[in-house]
Amino acid sequence: MNESLINPFNLSHPTTVQTSLFAGAQIARFDPTGRFIAAGRAIGSADIWDLETRAPIRWLDGHVRGVTSIDWSRNSRYVLTSSKDWNVLVWDLASACDPPQRHCTIRFDAPVISASFHPRNSQIVLALLSTGEAYLCDLRKTERSRIELVELMEESDDEQGQSTRTRSFMTVARFEPSGKYIFIGTTAGSLLVFNSRTKAMIARHKISGAGIMKGLDFAKSGRRLVTNSSDRTLRQFILPSYAGCEENGLLDQELEPTHRFNDPINKTAWHAMSYSPDGEWLAGGAADPAAHKVYIWDISNDGQFASALDGGREPLLHLHWHPKKSCIASTTNQGSILIWHCPNPERWGAFAGGFEEVDENVEYDEREDEFDIEDEEILFERKMKAEEEEVDIDTLAASSDPNASALVNGNVMDVIGGSTNGTPASTVAVVGIMGDKDPDILWADEEPDGDDPGEWRMRIVMDNEAADYY
Amino acid sequence: MDDSSTDDDTASQTTEDDPQVPDNQTSAPPPPPPPVLSPPHPPVSTTSVQREKPHYQLRHTLRGHTMSISAVKFSPDGKLLASCGAEKVVKIWSPETGDFLRDLSGHTQGLSDIAWSFDSVYLASASDDTTIRIWDVESGVTYKHLKGHTKWVFCLNYNTASNLLVSGGCDGDVRIWNAARGKCMKTLHAHLDYVTAVHFNRDATLIVSCALDGLIRIWNTSDGQCLKTLAEGHDAICQHVQFSPNSKYILSTAHDSAIRLWDYHSTRCLKTYTGHVNSKYCISACFSVTGGKWIVAGSEDHKTYIWDLQTREIVQVLEGHTDVVVAVATHPIQNMIATGSIDSDLAIRLWTDRGPRPSA
Repeated sequence: MNESLINPFNLSHPTTVQTSLFAGAQIARFDPTGRFIAAGRAIGSADIWDLETRAPIRWLDGHVRGVTSIDWSRNSRYVLTSSKDWNVLVWDLASACDPPQRHCTIRFDAPVISASFHPRNSQIVLALLSTGEAYLCDLRKTERSRIELVELMEESDDEQGQSTRTRSFMTVARFEPSGKYIFIGTTAGSLLVFNSRTKAMIARHKISGAGIMKGLDFAKSGRRLVTNSSDRTLRQFILPSYAGCEENGLLDQELEPTHRFNDPINKTAWHAMSYSPDGEWLAGGAADPAAHKVYIWDISNDGQFASALDGGREPLLHLHWHPKKSCIASTTNQGSILIWHCPNPERWGAFAGGFEEVDENVEYDEREDEFDIEDEEILFERKMKAEEEEVDIDTLAASSDPNASALVNGNVMDVIGGSTNGTPASTVAVVGIMGDKDPDILWADEEPDGDDPGEWRMRIVMDNEAADYY
Repeated sequence: MDDSSTDDDTASQTTEDDPQVPDNQTSAPPPPPPPVLSPPHPPVSTTSVQREKPHYQLRHTLRGHTMSISAVKFSPDGKLLASCGAEKVVKIWSPETGDFLRDLSGHTQGLSDIAWSFDSVYLASASDDTTIRIWDVESGVTYKHLKGHTKWVFCLNYNTASNLLVSGGCDGDVRIWNAARGKCMKTLHAHLDYVTAVHFNRDATLIVSCALDGLIRIWNTSDGQCLKTLAEGHDAICQHVQFSPNSKYILSTAHDSAIRLWDYHSTRCLKTYTGHVNSKYCISACFSVTGGKWIVAGSEDHKTYIWDLQTREIVQVLEGHTDVVVAVATHPIQNMIATGSIDSDLAIRLWTDRGPRPSA
């Protein structure tokens, strides 16, 4: 709401390290409000840090092996941690006790590589195991189930063809932001798309030359996707519409990337990548063994390389872009979380009342009546007239909801990006408008998880002995 | 930040419909539903029709303070009232019954301001002994003792999440504290004179401060940069400032006997409320949003004035105090006002609005 006041020229990406948090973390993820950061450690614990005070406020102790991924529910009430100890734990930050107790445990038969919440309901969890299998776990009472997402093979008459095509390992699994679809990357370099409700595979995209899929990230609108793969290239795709895929059968389509991002000189691989909230920037964390480098590309400017941020000598492990601001969190192999920001230049003019700074000299045109001495009574009357205007002191303007505006921005971006693809970008809008009727969304909204804005508050924990260690 | 408007950090800023409001004017605009986002267009203007008026009556007189009262604050859940004054203790009262509940004692000098955390569990108090104490109100224990100011601490405020505390001192500094640790995170050399009020906006991205140097400044909480300065006229030394419940405007009181509502984005004064007397004391004002939309403030003529937010007319004057009314607070849920007075009065008076009196 006050972005215009705080930073009127907020068109930029982060440029410098603001702080580093000594969290001992391998992974760090901002919560959807941007107030907290969850840090997962190799020893199995996870911490919640308050970014306003830059101090840890909760300790989630439950895993006995390293934390492999962290996810937040949409309004930050629940935190999910997956670990090499074969467990996925869900924590409820609204619980009254401190340290927080685990809200639920999902046990698997193999180390969990990654897990995430369904974007609309935290009781639906997608988990990927080190055995290359992906499971969708539904913890709701009426739907309770654990279903493996299985790649659909073409029924071929040719016996030989069948035998040569073995199921490939799944290496990455993510919900698309609306939660309707699950995207899974495989060792064969293809992307499989599943419907979250029916668990049926609806599309397969072969990505030629990609090799093993290593990572996926969506722009907020869900129309754009960036993949990381073993050929050390990040590829951005505009996704087709999957409406009607259930009826028409499997969509087998090769996707052509709109952009390819790589480091042409060092040929570094990538550990992680993340879109900015408006989708206009893409950050890639380089898998450089001797340096901490974050590459930034300007998507709105045809994917041009913008800059490489240097974060010192500790190699980068993971990065995540803040959900609302121009801010990135990247973790080092020594366990620090670097918070990157875009510093505002000090505006000394702000210290003087009624003073505007200008960047360049301007010729000032004096108004005809500027120095006329006006009748004070007329002035007073005019002022009183102006004060008749109604003011609204207690309703929150709709535009102040950063989620809504960010989403709008995202859509606008995709209209631009999607025009080359031929598919009308309106499909995104349709998802938003018809959301209430969409069976997939209705399904996800059944049995709400109690994670509603304003329904819960993080309890204030005053006496925290452990806090003094930091 | 969260989008609920039902529990703000300061007790006096809450949007909630009150069943006690008489619904006898069919043309009055329906109060906006509290937690949902309303469409940006303003409610229908009703200036042509007769507007509703408040009908506050004295409910309780709370006596117990032995020295001048400096602040009264309702807890965000509305169940407690805290008051402080020059006698080194915070007093906790029940607004429902008017009973005195307990003293929070520990400060070695008089107190100037108090603030509640959003959960109504903790209370912070600013003292002339240059420290701030954070109390567990239930047990009366001092949880944290915040030291850092070099002179008297004059004002303080919690943010909505209550992880931060901002305070202003008589050295002109504004300090931002990590409330849970009791550690000072940042010191802003904000003003050249007594900082008389500090206030966070809803999502704690901004802090507004005002001082006896006559300036109102808006600060970026995260990096401590000054974003804007509003200067009132020469004779208008500002002494109290706060954001409106939706943080779109700021309300300031000044020594030219005027209360102003500012659009701080455009630096424009939108409304001026006058009629009371305020030329010497630090008198606070507050928004009342539980029934009609009012501005409430004390006055040096021993009265409390209620203005209509939109028309700027005085709609009610509360008489009863026998000295200057410096402290005023509105209940977060009910139509209730607490006022506190100084020197020769030393009482807190609680006023409630139960609708118009049956026509007598």
